[in-house]
Amino acid sequence: MKKVGEVVLLWLLILFIHNAAGEGYSPPGKPTNISCRSPEKETFTCWWKPGSDGGLPTTYALYYRKEGSQRVFECPDYKTAGKNSCFFSKNVTFVWVNYNITVVATNSRGRAFSDPVDIDVVYIVKPNPPEEVVVNVTEDKDWPFLQVSWKPPKMADTRSGWITLFYEVRLKLENKNKWEVVSAGQRKTLQIYSLRSGGTYEVQVRCKPDHGFWSEWSPSSRVKVPEYFPQERSMWILIVVFAAFILIIFIRMVYMNFHSVKRYLLPPVPGPKIKGIDKQFLKSGKSEDIFSSLVVSDFPPTTSNYEDFLVQYLEVYVPEERELIMNEGKDLQDDSFKTENSTCDNDSGRGSCDSHTLLTDKGGGDKEDGQQSDQEGSQAEADTKSQEEALEEELLACSHENLQSSNVSNEKEKVKSWPSLFSPLPQYSFSPVNRPNPPKTGKQHCLSDSLFTPNSMPSYFTQPGPSTTKGFRSNYWECSFDHKQSHPLHPQSAAHEHLQAQNDLNTAHVDYMGAPLDVHVLNVRPSEYVEVQRVSVEDGVLLHPVSPSQEDSRTLSHQTEDYSRVRVVNNDNGLLLLQRDAIEEEKSMCPYQEDVVSRASITPTLQNSATGINIALPILDEMAASGYIDTAIMFGLPTH
Amino acid sequence: MVDRLHKSALCGREATVPVNDLLDRASQRSDKMHSLSTLLTQEMDSHFPPYGRMQMPRPADCHTSALQTPNDKEQALQVSESDLMSLARSLLQAWVDPLAVLSTSAITLPHPSKSSISSKIQELQEHSKSLADGLDILSGKMGPSAQAISFLPYTGGTDLGQDRVTILNKFNFLLSCLRRDSHKIDSFLKVLRCRAAKLQPELC
Repeated sequence: MKKVGEVVLLWLLILFIHNAAGEGYSPPGKPTNISCRSPEKETFTCWWKPGSDGGLPTTYALYYRKEGSQRVFECPDYKTAGKNSCFFSKNVTFVWVNYNITVVATNSRGRAFSDPVDIDVVYIVKPNPPEEVVVNVTEDKDWPFLQVSWKPPKMADTRSGWITLFYEVRLKLENKNKWEVVSAGQRKTLQIYSLRSGGTYEVQVRCKPDHGFWSEWSPSSRVKVPEYFPQERSMWILIVVFAAFILIIFIRMVYMNFHSVKRYLLPPVPGPKIKGIDKQFLKSGKSEDIFSSLVVSDFPPTTSNYEDFLVQYLEVYVPEERELIMNEGKDLQDDSFKTENSTCDNDSGRGSCDSHTLLTDKGGGDKEDGQQSDQEGSQAEADTKSQEEALEEELLACSHENLQSSNVSNEKEKVKSWPSLFSPLPQYSFSPVNRPNPPKTGKQHCLSDSLFTPNSMPSYFTQPGPSTTKGFRSNYWECSFDHKQSHPLHPQSAAHEHLQAQNDLNTAHVDYMGAPLDVHVLNVRPSEYVEVQRVSVEDGVLLHPVSPSQEDSRTLSHQTEDYSRVRVVNNDNGLLLLQRDAIEEEKSMCPYQEDVVSRASITPTLQNSATGINIALPILDEMAASGYIDTAIMFGLPTH
Repeated sequence: MVDRLHKSALCGREATVPVNDLLDRASQRSDKMHSLSTLLTQEMDSHFPPYGRMQMPRPADCHTSALQTPNDKEQALQVSESDLMSLARSLLQAWVDPLAVLSTSAITLPHPSKSSISSKIQELQEHSKSLADGLDILSGKMGPSAQAISFLPYTGGTDLGQDRVTILNKFNFLLSCLRRDSHKIDSFLKVLRCRAAKLQPELC
């Protein structure tokens, strides 16, 4: 019984073992990732990555063939280079010969062949790291530097030129993470300067053959830089003292010349000049006299007066007068704005200057009145600084009777008719140009970028006949506000927009009143600066361009006056005039001003001079804030 | 012999460039040539599937394989300078025609980087020409045995093939032969440079 039991047990055991041995065993997996490296172009080593062993003890064998021969060799040395490797000694290593290498994994269940790999020893050179890296701190006149030197790896024969090595050094402060890498070429020494006093550096070196792979970095060599701080401190003290000295001198200079510096940086704003009011008189001051002088028979202009005036203006057509005036204006322009009849002094605003010349024209008196009212209104708004300048708003009213078509294509025709309407304008524009001091002009206008582009202007102007072209070129420019846009402005071109706006305005006016609006927009090209010559009652602003002749626009633009550029024409009665300090500053200023307009939301009303004023006010405020208010933009007369 | 060369170069000739300087320049140019050919093979491989490479003829079939060159360091260091120079010049001369064939074929190569490949081959041709001129001068200073050139004709013809696979295979094969031969030239010149650099031992 016992024997049977033992036999059964033994048999079961054998079965079990047999089963265990049979299950889960499989041929080995394919070896992969065969990579070979040669440290000195005389020997090389190949490594492979074994696949699964299939549960059985697996052996690996490496076989190779050399090019041009079918003879297969096996790896001579599996041990020297460690596990899963094969080391080819000098005897079996040949250069400029392709080796075809295959690794075979064998176990009792089968064998697996790796993918063959072709290598040429000269292309797989990766040297050992450089050896004997020595780092010294060399004291050199209290400015220490590191002297690093090394030797090529032992195996690499650089002496004979069999291998050519290039070196790289890297160093970092001990507690930092960033390495600084310095290339050393084929040299074996390197100096490193600009060390941190008292710091501890780690230095490593590596090398690379001319056509091969970089070696690993050598082990770190540590070195401590001695303190050389005192020298630095005395230098800093010297620098601080010197800088303080310079600062003191500078402050003193500024203090001594404080006024001239101030004058340069913040040019004074001319005082206001109001027709009929004398500053000295005010100072001498009897109040009754002052007040009586303020009361002018034609101020404030009533609406009816204004309309009459406008209508009058619209209806008056004196071609020969116009020609004269235009010619005169043109002459003025040619003379670089020297006006013979100018009676302005440096402090006058344009308005007061021009008012004299305005009076010569039939509509001039009215314009003057309009101006005065503008001045008054603007003064109300303007800051004291701006008082003097502001009111050069000369408003020119133009009628658009002829321009009723809202067709953009008709713009050319309209252009042609404009010169006749605007003949008196030229003289206005030029007289103030006379003035020498830029800051003293009160006009600030911005040229609407959206409305006008310089390029579009000239073409626009070429439309009219030659005789009228000159008139045009007298730089009259009007912006029209169309609060009631019946047509959307096309973004085609500035001129088109402009015309469109005008067209709209015209049509709107026609629709509304049956009477032409006073306002039309003149395209004046070359000059981008306009002065407001008049604020029309129907929220129109007649602006005439201020800049000098087109040819000389550049030089003349450096002139004296600050003129605004119309930045944008809002549909909602907004004409954004930007103050111009200098040509360069326009752009910077304009966007700022643009914000102003956008913020000033104006409810469109067809004829509301107050609306115009509303528009003007925020702009004025902003402009005042910027330091100069040269123009009060009055888009309408005060309530009449 | 190189010492003699040095002496003759430095004494008695006023504007002669010393030999080791010439060798330095020559080895720099050969270095550049080999770098270019390595870049070329890499560029070809970037768009060329690996299977194509296996099918290509073995490097033993290069047209320059007939030239006996040293196969390991010991052999190489035993070769005389004149022989090394002669080997370098022979190899260089053997590639003049094949480079022209490669250059014309590169223009119409069915490969996406053919313009870059074409420009590199042209650069190779320029380097090869100027290196050949420089080695002519050098070998003139080294004696008659240095000036002997073994004739290794290229018999592959001007046409690389008709279909895309054949053309690319042949192109790849030629480039691999060029890569090896340019490495040989570079190695020989660098060995020569170190042998001549008695005045500048720090470079070797």
